[in-house]
Formats: sequence, structure tokens, C-alpha cells
Amino acid sequence: MAKTINLILNVWRQKGAQDKGRFEVYKADGIDTDMSFLEMLDVVNERLMKEGKEPIAFDHDCREGICGACGAVVNGRPHGPMAKTTLCQLHMRRFKDNDTVTIEPWRARGFPIVKDLVVDRSAFDRIMASGGFISVKTGSAPEANAVPVRRRDAETAMDAAACIGCGACVAACPNASAMLFVGAKVSHFGLLPQGRVEAKERVRGMVARMDAEGFGNCSNHYECEAACPKGISVSTIARMNREYLSSQEMIWTKES
Amino acid sequence: MNGSSSHSRSSIGKKQLVAATGLFLILFVVAHLAGNLFIYGGPEAFNGYAKKLVGLRPGLYFLEAALLVVFLIHLDATARLVLENLRARPTGYRQGAPAGDRQGHSAAGGSFASRLMPWTGAVIVAFVIWHLLDFTFVDRDGPAGILPDGRSYGLFGVVYNSLGNPVHCVLYIAAMLCVGTHLSHGIQSFIQTFGLVGERRLPAVRRISNALGIAIALAYSSIPIYVQLSFWVFSRRGV
Ligand code: HEM
Ligand code: SF4
Ligand code: FES
Repeated sequence: MAKTINLILNVWRQKGAQDKGRFEVYKADGIDTDMSFLEMLDVVNERLMKEGKEPIAFDHDCREGICGACGAVVNGRPHGPMAKTTLCQLHMRRFKDNDTVTIEPWRARGFPIVKDLVVDRSAFDRIMASGGFISVKTGSAPEANAVPVRRRDAETAMDAAACIGCGACVAACPNASAMLFVGAKVSHFGLLPQGRVEAKERVRGMVARMDAEGFGNCSNHYECEAACPKGISVSTIARMNREYLSSQEMIWTKES
Repeated sequence: MNGSSSHSRSSIGKKQLVAATGLFLILFVVAHLAGNLFIYGGPEAFNGYAKKLVGLRPGLYFLEAALLVVFLIHLDATARLVLENLRARPTGYRQGAPAGDRQGHSAAGGSFASRLMPWTGAVIVAFVIWHLLDFTFVDRDGPAGILPDGRSYGLFGVVYNSLGNPVHCVLYIAAMLCVGTHLSHGIQSFIQTFGLVGERRLPAVRRISNALGIAIALAYSSIPIYVQLSFWVFSRRGV
């Protein structure tokens, strides 16, 4: 028989963008400790619906830690108490019987609340559209060994590419800064020869969009790195800062 | 897009402005400390150093003006950053916890020094104003320079009389702790903001930055403590 625990939930409920919102207290009794955090919310929602109440809205998709859709601040920590773990991969065995669990949405001007725990993260899409891509001629793939890549750069680019765009870095940052996300993208593309070509335009475009979306400025607290489910390093922010400064050269040397 | 103004309006540009002016201020703090330590050489050495500095005028005026401008730019850029950061999260969390202490994560999240930057900075502003009134805009050869033996010791005497006051001594040390705390985060922050080191060297940079911050605070604080001890020895000898 699996172990079960009883929890008290403090959940942020907000009907829509215009609603003021408030915390509601729910009892979550008999929670199987082998469940994930999202499955626990599913159980609570089923019970709420049986009582004719509105279920708690939350984002999710893959439920296996790879899509970046899920996420909430659990007891003050984005994605809950475990390092390098998305909310969908968090197990209820990490909680003790009779724990009080406070569940809040990501809080940032750049991520307006849609409903309950669901926030609008389209700001990240707009940042990506401002340079988070590589312009290539489509057609048949080039021969794999034609473009040499330094092993160290390949590894570092791959580490940065692990970012799933969940937004926990913004949620964790005392300044609601998106610099870990943007740093990850700038590193991911800029370290590879195919992406290097547009590196300067990319960092200028993405940083300008990031600023316009109302995210804060990094003050090097490094809360983001600790919260990131994919272990993205703050050295990606250092790389972005360096890249941004050197991209200034574009303005002075512009030919036309 | 118009050149340098778009850089200094952007988030990273403002950070780099803070870091560049911060570096200039660090160099000043270290140079000033080196000069202050002449106090251990006695009145001749210390007053001699002060005279040499005055002898550097008018070139020194230029440096002082540059220092003032750099200080004001640092203040202006940090104030903008702090205000923007407050606006970036209009509603806070009910429950906040530093992410750094989560299970299975070794790297520390924000330190108390990083969170306190605006506050330690504000203390520095107050301190600088008080400090200038106390030591710079004072008549060095007036009564403020006369020590208990009835002789005038010039600027050396002014420093002794001021730091000999227990309240001044405590306030001075408190301010130096703020400077040290500011720098313990500021130095590593400067390295990160210009992206000077990668992942592997960052932990070492943080340790060095913390050590330098503590060392600078202790070295500055040693002076008022030394002055207090000298007065104590002085009064025991009954002179
Ligand atoms: C002795 C004078 C000072 C020195 C040596 C100094 C040095 C520094 C350095 C090196 C940084 C790090 C820059 C970076 O983020 O990369 C910094 C940041 C900062 N300084 Fe100062 N500073 C001084 C005075 C002040 C004053 C008077 C204030 C005003 C209140 C202030 C407020 C700040 C703030 C708020 C930051 C953080 C900026 C951010 O979070 O991005 N500092 N300082
Ligand atoms: S950097 Fe980490 S926390 Fe931020 S969006 Fe990417 S995966 Fe999520
Ligand atoms: S639901 Fe896809 S990462 Fe959690």
C-alpha cells in the first residue's frame, strides 16, 4: 500500500487579468506520496468539481520535465523545493504529513496573470522572435563534418540549449529579470558557427525586446541559477553581457 | 538606433555603467586607504602625505572633479536600475525563500550583501558628506588639530580628535563595514557584468571578492581603533 499524506493548500485564485485575486485554503487529504505535484492538483481539482466549484487553473503539457509549460511558486520556491526539478517532476514524497503548502503564480510585470496559476509567457516568444533563431538556407543538410565545432563550445552550447523556457528564472529573481533565459539563448546560438554569424544582431535584438517587455535588470544575485530546473549557469549571463558590449562596435563601424 | 545612448539606456548598458564607475570608485577606495595608513607613521609622515597631496594641485582638482562625476553617474544609474527592478514585480510573493538553499543545490543564491546594495550605498552617501565636513572642509591649523598635550598637530590632530570621540569612532567603523559589504558583492558583480570570467572561475572570483571586501573594511576600521587605543595609553600615562 502506498503511503498517503494530508496537506493544507494555500492557493492563489484569480478569475482573470482584471480580478484582484486572493488566497484560498483547501484541504488535500489522502494524497498518495508517489504522485507528482500536478497529479496532486488533479486530485484536488476533481474534488472541487464534484462540489460544483471552479477547479484551479494551472499550465502543463508533457509532465515529464521537457516542455517548460508547468510551473508555480511552491512555499516561496519556483518549481518547489528540489533542485533541477520541474513542478511536474516533483513528487509528493518530498512533503510531510500535515504540511501547509503555499502555491503562487510566477510574479512579474512581463508575465501577466491569465487565471489562477496560469501566466502569459508570450513575452518569451517575442524575445525569441527578436533574434533567437538562425537564418539558414533550407535545402539538403550539409555534410556533417564540413563545419568543425570545438568540443568545448559544443558542450557549452548544448548545456545552454537545455533551457525549456519555463520562466522560473524570472519568478525567482528579486528583480524579475529574464537575463538567464536570454543568456541561455544567446549562448546556445552564439557558440556554434552557424549562429555566430548573426551573434551581434541577435544579442542587441533580444536584449532590446527583453527590456521593452518590462523585465527587471540582473543584479547578480544568482537566484535564477538555483531555481532553474535545467541547471542553466549564470555564466551564460556573463557571455551575454560580454557579447552585448562588443556588439556596440556595430554602431560605430556601420558602413551605411 | 543612436549609438552610445542606446547602450546606456538598455538594461545591460546601465549595469555596465554602474560597473565601470564602480571600478573607478574601488580604485579610489584602495588608493585612499593606502594614504590613510600613513597615520601609523606618526604626525610627520601623515601630514607630509597630506601636504604632498595638496602640492599636486591644480591637477588634483581635475581628479576630484572626475571622482565627483563618476560618483554621481554611479548614483544615477543605480537609482534607475533599482526603480526599474521595483516596477518589474508589482505584486510580491506571500512567501519568499532564497532559492539557493534548495535540496541538492550547492551554489548559494543571493547573498545578504547583494540584497543590501542600495542600502549600503545609501549609507556610503551619508558617510561621504559627513566625512568631507569632518576632515576636508575644516581648518587644519585651527583648534581642531590641538591634541591633549596642548600642541597643534595639523590634520593628524584633526583625525585624532574626531576619531577619539567614541560616537564618531563607532559610526566610522559602521560606515566602513557598509563599504566592505558593498564591495564584497560589488567586485564580483563588476567581473560578471563585464563577463570577464566563465563558469569555472566564478566561484573563485566570488571568494576573492568577499575576502577583499572584508580586508578593506578591516584595514579602514583599524585606524579608529588605533586612535582609541592611543588615547587610552595617553590617558594612562597621565599626559
Ligand atoms: C565608495 C564608493 C562606491 C564603490 C567603490 C562602489 C562600487 C560598486 C561596484 C563595483 C558595484 C558593482 C557593479 C556591478 O553591478 O557590476 C556597485 C553596485 C552598486 N552600487 Fe556602488 N559603489 C560605491 C558607492 C555607491 C553609492 C554611494 C551608492 C548609492 C546609493 C551605490 C549603490 C549601488 C547599487 C544599488 C549597486 C547595485 C547595482 C545593481 O544591482 O545592478 N554605490 N557599486
Ligand atoms: S533558464 Fe532555466 S529557469 Fe529560465 S526559462 Fe530556461 S529552463 Fe526555465
Ligand atoms: S509539464 Fe512539461 S515541463 Fe512540466
